[in-house]
Amino acid sequence: MATQDGLETSREGDQQVSRMRGRIFEAMCLAATAIGLVAVGILLLYVTADAIRPFSADPGWHLVFFATLVVPSTGFGLYLYARDGNAGKVAYTALGLGLIGVLLAGALVILFVEIFPYGEWFALSIALAILGAVTVVHRRYRRHAETERTGLLIVTLLVTVFGIPPGAIAELLGLPFYIPSVRGLIASSPVLPLDWIMLVPSLVLPVAAAAGWFVRGRRESNRAGLVTAGAVIVGSVLGVGLGPVVGVGVEGWMLIVLSTAVPLGLYVESVLRRDEGRLGLLFPVVLVGGTLLGAVLTRTLGFAGPDPWLDWGFLTSATSTTPADAGIYPVMVGSIMLLIVIVLTTFPVGVGAAIYLEEYAPSSGLMGRLVTLIEINIGNLAGVPSVVYGLLGLALFVRFFQMPTGSVIVGGLAVGLLILPIIIISAQEAIRSVPDSMREASYGMGATRWQTVRNVVLPEALPGILTGTILAFGRAIGETAPLLMIGMAASVRVPPNGFFSRSGAMPRQIFQWARQFDPAFLNGVLPAGVVTLVFVLLVMNGTAIIIRNRYQRGS
Amino acid sequence: MTQDEMTDTNDGTDPTANAAADTPDPSGDPLVDQSIDVEGTSTTEQTSGTARTVLESRNLDVYYDDVQALNDVSLAIPAKQVTAMIGPSGCGKSTFLRCINRMNDLIDSARVDGELRFEGKDVYDDDVDPVALRRRIGMVFQHPNPFPKSIYDNVAYGLRVQNQTENMDEKVERALKHAALWDEVKDQLDKSALDLSGGQQQRLCIARAIAVDPEVILMDEPASALDPIATSKIEDLIDDLAEDYTVVIVTHNMQQAARISDKTAVFLTGGELVEFDDTNKIFENPENQRVEDYITGKFG
Repeated sequence: MATQDGLETSREGDQQVSRMRGRIFEAMCLAATAIGLVAVGILLLYVTADAIRPFSADPGWHLVFFATLVVPSTGFGLYLYARDGNAGKVAYTALGLGLIGVLLAGALVILFVEIFPYGEWFALSIALAILGAVTVVHRRYRRHAETERTGLLIVTLLVTVFGIPPGAIAELLGLPFYIPSVRGLIASSPVLPLDWIMLVPSLVLPVAAAAGWFVRGRRESNRAGLVTAGAVIVGSVLGVGLGPVVGVGVEGWMLIVLSTAVPLGLYVESVLRRDEGRLGLLFPVVLVGGTLLGAVLTRTLGFAGPDPWLDWGFLTSATSTTPADAGIYPVMVGSIMLLIVIVLTTFPVGVGAAIYLEEYAPSSGLMGRLVTLIEINIGNLAGVPSVVYGLLGLALFVRFFQMPTGSVIVGGLAVGLLILPIIIISAQEAIRSVPDSMREASYGMGATRWQTVRNVVLPEALPGILTGTILAFGRAIGETAPLLMIGMAASVRVPPNGFFSRSGAMPRQIFQWARQFDPAFLNGVLPAGVVTLVFVLLVMNGTAIIIRNRYQRGS
Repeated sequence: MTQDEMTDTNDGTDPTANAAADTPDPSGDPLVDQSIDVEGTSTTEQTSGTARTVLESRNLDVYYDDVQALNDVSLAIPAKQVTAMIGPSGCGKSTFLRCINRMNDLIDSARVDGELRFEGKDVYDDDVDPVALRRRIGMVFQHPNPFPKSIYDNVAYGLRVQNQTENMDEKVERALKHAALWDEVKDQLDKSALDLSGGQQQRLCIARAIAVDPEVILMDEPASALDPIATSKIEDLIDDLAEDYTVVIVTHNMQQAARISDKTAVFLTGGELVEFDDTNKIFENPENQRVEDYITGKFG
């Protein structure tokens, strides 16, 4: 009896000691987490406060918006949270869709205005339509001649999009004549229709058809599909009258309808049809209504709002020597174009390398050792400082290939080199996470390696690959050092007019503002630029997280 | 050519001549004789003595790097019967199975010596395309491994990769019926295969394997991850499949081997084939003392 008691107490004593250690360890881990988060959080709050300057507003303004916006939306949000989980989900999905739609519309407008004119897009879509028609016709008459079809597609693509010989090559080699492409013919025609007229067949009709098809499948009724398609077309064309009145222009109206109203409408339709969490749809209405009401009230009551550095003017104008006029627009366009170059070059190369290393490369013998060596060094490359990549870009692209200093293409390639190892490694991880039993099942059915990769491995790995790549692109858009090395412009007044023209980039511009002596730059323009850049990063990372969550729910 | 003729005459009335011509088994002559002896006790209508040999291995050795996984294995697997492989873990029975359709090719370190003839042709000859081989020899794995696609797409997968896209609906339906799954899934063919239960998933994998109409079906412990009810369904199914296909099954479960197989091969440690004979003979009166010890549970 006594010995047993003794044993028990000693055991309890042991437990207390270990529990204590555990608690200290837990507290230290919590502290470690908190230090990083709190430091970044405070910095971001500080910078945001500088950029928005909320305290420059009348107290009455805050009071009005508190009453019309904060109280109702918080109350409604809490009510949804407590009462109806589904409605909460609907609320934030609807809000997120609207937000992303508006951002997408903005990006599309920038794309069409600065980079890829409506005429080009119109011509390209006609070329692609011809390509699609050729495929469909060929498939109908010669279903099994797949090789022939591929060849035909390549030839058609050359003829419709590039011409023979391809326009760029012909110019480069100085060939005197070539068969012009369909796209070339249209783009070079002296009279082009109005921008919005070109947008209707090339973008509105396809989106309307897709939305109609989607609803037709969901509701299993042809009529519902036709109504949806009709609504999309009517809603877009309404912009001819309404767009200029609202101030976004006809094309802006159309793009907003297509990127925001259409997905939102489809989502509302699906919520109403499933009858789950309908109440959540009211949440965005409460937010928008509260904002409008607040705006009307503050104006009638005469309360002045804040005077933020980060405003519409900042987003739409170029940098200037006077802080009040400075803006970020040209470098924002530059950053988008950089990102286009980075995506187009690193995604195929990085994912291709990852597929080769995981699916094809030998894993044993001498070659296997070589592959292991290469993989280890890809890991090392991911750790090489970005300045070194800038130097590499300078030496390789500017000095050796004689590309123009500071141009979009050189910047994109240099930063692309920097994130390539990250993309390869994350894509490898995603491909490796596809279980071997899937591959075995496919091989066991008599599938070739290519069929297995295409039908089984890639579809399974794609969400993981996309998540990793989007995070890497987020890193790329904030990179500064390589841009400094290859001589990106410090300050530009106009957006670049091509991929070979000299350009700025958001982080480069922020670096430039940080070197100004005027405190208005340091405390106003600089924070506004930082907030813009961070916001872009958050949106990209948010997209990556959404993709990952969808993927996890799917499996 | 002769193979085709044999296939034609296989179900005929006079297959003994073929069998005699086709099984001049160098290693297993006594085994064949014995199997004819116990013919009367066999429950299937077609007895092992009269069956044509589809797969035959002679002095097969397999190594993973320096480790020998199979040691001098010689056996002949008869057509349209169930042949079971039993033995303790690591004895090489799965390795043997995976040699048959060259799944071991996917493992870089695996090396195969000796002969393994399928319809008289050595599958390890240089001119044999493993992809084409696997189209004739289907495989079902230990853990149900349907693709994360719809039920229909799972069954149609083999047809699609083999470009047999005519009458696909019909073929899918036939395969699902054959795998005794049709009645359970006919209204939800477009649902994800991952929503099915484990037993249903395994029957789906069997449907997937037979949709392309292979000649041989290899099963690597197909019921080991399933509960008893699902297991008994799979066993019934294997019994049915043996009417149309040659089935080779690896199992840990000796009762299962005794219930469903016509012939049994016992592998013991070291990748050695110790005894290969009619199932009844193996379980009632094995030749080899070690086999008897293993079957009676004295070791293994």
